[in-house]
Amino acid sequence: MSLLSSLSTDCSIRLKSYPPTPMPTSPLHAAIHHAGRIVLGKEHQIRLALACLLARGHLLIEDLPGVGKTILAHVLARLLGLNFHRIQCTADMLPADIIGVSIYDRNSGSFQFHPGPIFAQVILVDEINRATPKSQSALLEAMEEHQVTCEGETRPLPEPFFVIATQNPYHQIGTFPLPESQLDRFLMRIEMGYPDQAAERELLAGADRRDMVASLNPCMEPGELIELQRAVREVHAAEALIAYVQALAEYTRRSPEYEAGLSPRAALALLRAARAWALIDRRDLVLPEDIQAVLPAVAGHRLHAASGAPNASSADIAATLIAAVPLP
Amino acid sequence: MQAAASFKRWLFRLYGPEVAPIVLTQRRVYVLPTQAGLAFAAALGFMLIGAINYNLSLGYALTFLLAGLGLVTLLHTFRNLVQLEIAPGHVEPVFAGDTARFGLQLHNRRNQGRFAISLQVEGGSTVATDAPANASTSVDLPLVTHRRGWLRPGRVTLASRFPLCLVRAWSYVEPDMRCLVYPRPEQSAPPLPLSASGESGGSRNGQGTEDFSGLRTHQPADSPRHVAWKAVARGQQLLTKQFTGASTTQVWLDWNALPPDLGAEARLSRLTRWLLDAHAQGLAYGLRLPTREIPLGQGARHFQDCLEALALHGD
Amino acid sequence: MATSTRFGARQTTVRRTAARRTTAESPALTRTQELWLFACAALTLLPDAEHAPVWLSVAFGAALAWRIALWWRRAALPSRWLLAFLVAAGSVGIFLTYRQFFGKDPGIALLILFLALKLLEMRRVRDGLAVIFLCYFLLLTHFLNAQGIGVAGFTLAALVLVTAALASLGHSGRRATEHLRLAALMLAQATPFMLVLFLLFPRVQGPLWGMPADAYSGMSGLSDSMSPGSISKLSLSSEIAFRVKFEGDIPPKPALYWRGPVLSHYDGNTWRAGTRERKVSLQDTAPEQAFRYAVTLEPHNKHWLFALEMPVTLPPDAILLQDYQLLSKTPVRSRIRYEMQSRIDFRTGAEESTASLQRYLNLPANNPRTRALAAQWRRELATDEAVIRRMLDYFRQERFFYTLNPPLLDENGIDQFLFETRRGFCEHFASAFVFTMRAAGVPARIVTGYQGGEQNPVDGYLIVRQSDAHAWAEAWLGDRGWVRIDPTAAIAPSRIEAGLASAMPAGEPLPFLVRADLSWLRAIRFRWEAVSNTWNQWVLGYDPQRQREMLSRLGMHDPDWKAMTAVMATLCGFLLLGLTFWALHKRIRIDPTLRAWNRLSRKLARIDLARRAWEGPTDYAQRVAHAHPELSQSMETIAALYIALRYGKLDGKAELQRLRELITNLEIIAAQ
Repeated sequence: MSLLSSLSTDCSIRLKSYPPTPMPTSPLHAAIHHAGRIVLGKEHQIRLALACLLARGHLLIEDLPGVGKTILAHVLARLLGLNFHRIQCTADMLPADIIGVSIYDRNSGSFQFHPGPIFAQVILVDEINRATPKSQSALLEAMEEHQVTCEGETRPLPEPFFVIATQNPYHQIGTFPLPESQLDRFLMRIEMGYPDQAAERELLAGADRRDMVASLNPCMEPGELIELQRAVREVHAAEALIAYVQALAEYTRRSPEYEAGLSPRAALALLRAARAWALIDRRDLVLPEDIQAVLPAVAGHRLHAASGAPNASSADIAATLIAAVPLP
Repeated sequence: MQAAASFKRWLFRLYGPEVAPIVLTQRRVYVLPTQAGLAFAAALGFMLIGAINYNLSLGYALTFLLAGLGLVTLLHTFRNLVQLEIAPGHVEPVFAGDTARFGLQLHNRRNQGRFAISLQVEGGSTVATDAPANASTSVDLPLVTHRRGWLRPGRVTLASRFPLCLVRAWSYVEPDMRCLVYPRPEQSAPPLPLSASGESGGSRNGQGTEDFSGLRTHQPADSPRHVAWKAVARGQQLLTKQFTGASTTQVWLDWNALPPDLGAEARLSRLTRWLLDAHAQGLAYGLRLPTREIPLGQGARHFQDCLEALALHGD
Repeated sequence: MATSTRFGARQTTVRRTAARRTTAESPALTRTQELWLFACAALTLLPDAEHAPVWLSVAFGAALAWRIALWWRRAALPSRWLLAFLVAAGSVGIFLTYRQFFGKDPGIALLILFLALKLLEMRRVRDGLAVIFLCYFLLLTHFLNAQGIGVAGFTLAALVLVTAALASLGHSGRRATEHLRLAALMLAQATPFMLVLFLLFPRVQGPLWGMPADAYSGMSGLSDSMSPGSISKLSLSSEIAFRVKFEGDIPPKPALYWRGPVLSHYDGNTWRAGTRERKVSLQDTAPEQAFRYAVTLEPHNKHWLFALEMPVTLPPDAILLQDYQLLSKTPVRSRIRYEMQSRIDFRTGAEESTASLQRYLNLPANNPRTRALAAQWRRELATDEAVIRRMLDYFRQERFFYTLNPPLLDENGIDQFLFETRRGFCEHFASAFVFTMRAAGVPARIVTGYQGGEQNPVDGYLIVRQSDAHAWAEAWLGDRGWVRIDPTAAIAPSRIEAGLASAMPAGEPLPFLVRADLSWLRAIRFRWEAVSNTWNQWVLGYDPQRQREMLSRLGMHDPDWKAMTAVMATLCGFLLLGLTFWALHKRIRIDPTLRAWNRLSRKLARIDLARRAWEGPTDYAQRVAHAHPELSQSMETIAALYIALRYGKLDGKAELQRLRELITNLEIIAAQ
């Protein structure tokens, strides 16, 4: 457990002399600060969500209702100045309900496209496992391609485009759990968890969260966010670090603890997320600590314990993985 | 027999499954000349006698050089195994009667390759492999399974005669690995008890959302998204698209519903066969064993859970 | 994805490729391995083509060609019946050739036959091993014929090939160059063992049992008889008879008479050794004036040893006869080395009695003209010295020629030589001189041996060749004892002063390398002979005696076999230990930055703050700083520098140096 707690603590050592870091991330930190005042006690999750967004990935939140999933999505959209849609998934939902439909207009005598809720910059897909596989795949395809195809016409989705999907892991009856191949489309999967006592007391005593969200002002322009997304790709990952990512992936592929190892795509995702994490941490280089910080979120839903092993949480899986692979 | 076995365990320091990675330290790599090595030594003896008898100074030199070669081989062969790291790899579950393949990882952390290493699980056949420099190699060790449940391979022998076949170096390791062996599916089992079980059912005519099944005339309460707009465009009346659900046939695989004269293993064998059939046909199925019940379900995970329950029944 | 691999196991698809399956039985030979074995057999038997009977060489070549053809066409190997027939035929052939199966040459022939047979029936790796071991043994048998540097070099090359072939039997998948490199490496590593064993293995003077009669054929040298033409024939050979190493100066060339067989009995054509009487004591006067030297004698399969006239000490296991002939107790069948002392001013034969002198006056009843001349001189001259001088004057004043091609002589050969042909080589002059002296009543005898020698400027050894073979005379002069008189010196003084080449008139057939005009060739030859002499002295001549000498020089006084074995075992143990270190040694190049970082961890391990294997730099620095706040400042700097070097783009020698200094200077005060 000490490993786990050390993983979740923020890296607080600031690098003063090396390297000189002119980091244009102050709006980012302002956003984290403001979000932390609404989503109480969840700074690590906020940072992860933000890292996911900066790495141009999508986020899957797996937890009970009422732990602040929706608020988190709302707050992020608001602070980053992005427009926000919510899709509540049900069993009778059709792909058209997400993407939109072309409706025949008798006056003009032509089809007119009515865009679905997916045409927004931040989308909260609630209880994605309630949607049928057909709707799920339509959504996930849109997430992957950043565009939708409807009635033979391809329409681009707005940029930045960030999907936060939630699923409730405990009530599985009548649901369609995401297949493993689809889970891979999400850069990260996180759990919100209950707030600690202090945070919960503050939550109960404080103002209504929805009002607070409404009163939030954006911390940055959409253009700035795209700039940051570009900066993520510039973060330096040294050879030693790439070797570390490789060693982690190798280990999962060889070890009997896992049913199947991390794919090359998963390794790429890990590096991408770590870059974003480093950027949030005001660094222009990736450290092993960054990899270790994002590993539970990035690898947790991609690794499965082999048959016979007890079902472990993604945090446990990541912790044993980290402890098993020495830094190269 | 008992004493010999325990002596061997003491001699080769075998104390049960070991924690990975297992490093073949110099204390656990043994070397002895092979038959060819003994023949080589005998040939050297003859050569020495020849050299002495004919006072061949170069004969001495040749004999001694070859004797040195024998000693050097000893170390080369030893070196071929020593410091090799072994870690257990993937083991896929198999059905009883099939060959289990125990994956082993050989990590060679040296700048020189290692060659012709043969590995063998007790009772299994031998597999030979090379371990290139600074790399990891996977080997699958085959072992034919007979009984369901967990199969532990026990002692693995690693041996090498590289480079000159004159010396054999070997070591025993006991990697912590096990293979889940499912019961052997019954060969000529009766068909799935679809009708026999009262709980089987479900329909193919219910409403659903998955597959398009036809059109009907539009009613005001219908969602506009279900309107067949293309038909409208062709000038037809408003029609509503109808869908059928993905509702599926359900079947319970019940231990207690089997004929009472069937033995335990035979029951498991039949249930395994049915489970395979049900999974292949895409049915929703549940498993009912005396000690355990797995509710109705579908999918790979569910399938594996059921197989695992069958394999480990009674453990 | 998981499900697909799950069922992959059922369909017995092998995902991993490197594994090969082997059977418990000895595996079949691959085609590449067979090729290796063919090459081994061919190379190993190459030198045997010179010595083995022609039919056997041809038969082996045919068998190998047949086997290679079968290999090429992937055809089946011949049946057992055919092979059995071939063995029988080959054995009969060997028996007909040698009339026996035991001994050196038939033994080698049988080995060659077995090798051919094994090649024709090899199918499995076990057969391949048998071929390899046969090849090793056959390499040894080459030394029965020659042990020169060239043979050694060839054997070494063949050894690398055969060992590489053995390696190919151990692993069929590697490339030929890899096998060869491995074989060379292993032989190089085996060389120190070879040196230790060679130097220290307690040597036994062979043979262990009686040698077959054919063991020492083909050795050349002087014989125990002398007839006209026997020495001049020998003079055409430039083979080395022996080498001499003087401890001080080399005596002047005219004094270099190397005494060999002394011949006193004449049957009218051939001079033979007389009865042998062992001399009891040596008069060892003033040994400080003696020349000290060591002779390395090439084997000649006879008893005598050569010494500079006259020896004052004896080598061990040697005896001196009454006529000052030095004999070994056993025939010289291998190159031997012995140390001697000689004086060139000597007086011998003082103890000869009248009865013993009578032997040196016996003559057969031929050559009447010579007898008449001798009788005439005896009448005319007063003293024996005068008769001798008269005889030498006769050689000088009449037109005598010194030549390697004298005309043939009939039964009154000395008459013919002295009065008609007047052309002869040293044996003619010596023979005529001794005959005439005896006819004149002066006791005289023939001494054969070598005269002169050539100093090799490279290593200082004096080389005496067969072309230096010589015959001279000794005459008894009362109070002066036996006096050496060399009639050849009267005819051709330059033979004694400068050697055979200068004494011969132009156009005489001389050994190629004895010729005086090819100086550059001689220089090369000197160099080569110096090398091969060193080889002979130290490698081939390393016998029990040499071993004792060598070891006592190295500080082991009076070593017995126990001490030698102990030292040998100890040294081999050390060598093995060294090789074990080599075997266990891992060479891993690591980033110098990481090395410095690891050093930090080792340093901090003293206060139980070693870095965990998975711990990143900031985590580590933080943990250390938390446990030891006084280190936080330096840890922060070190971690920042390390991060920049290892994970950043910084790549500077100066920064690396600074990191090292920071880590070195980090002061840790262990908490008590």
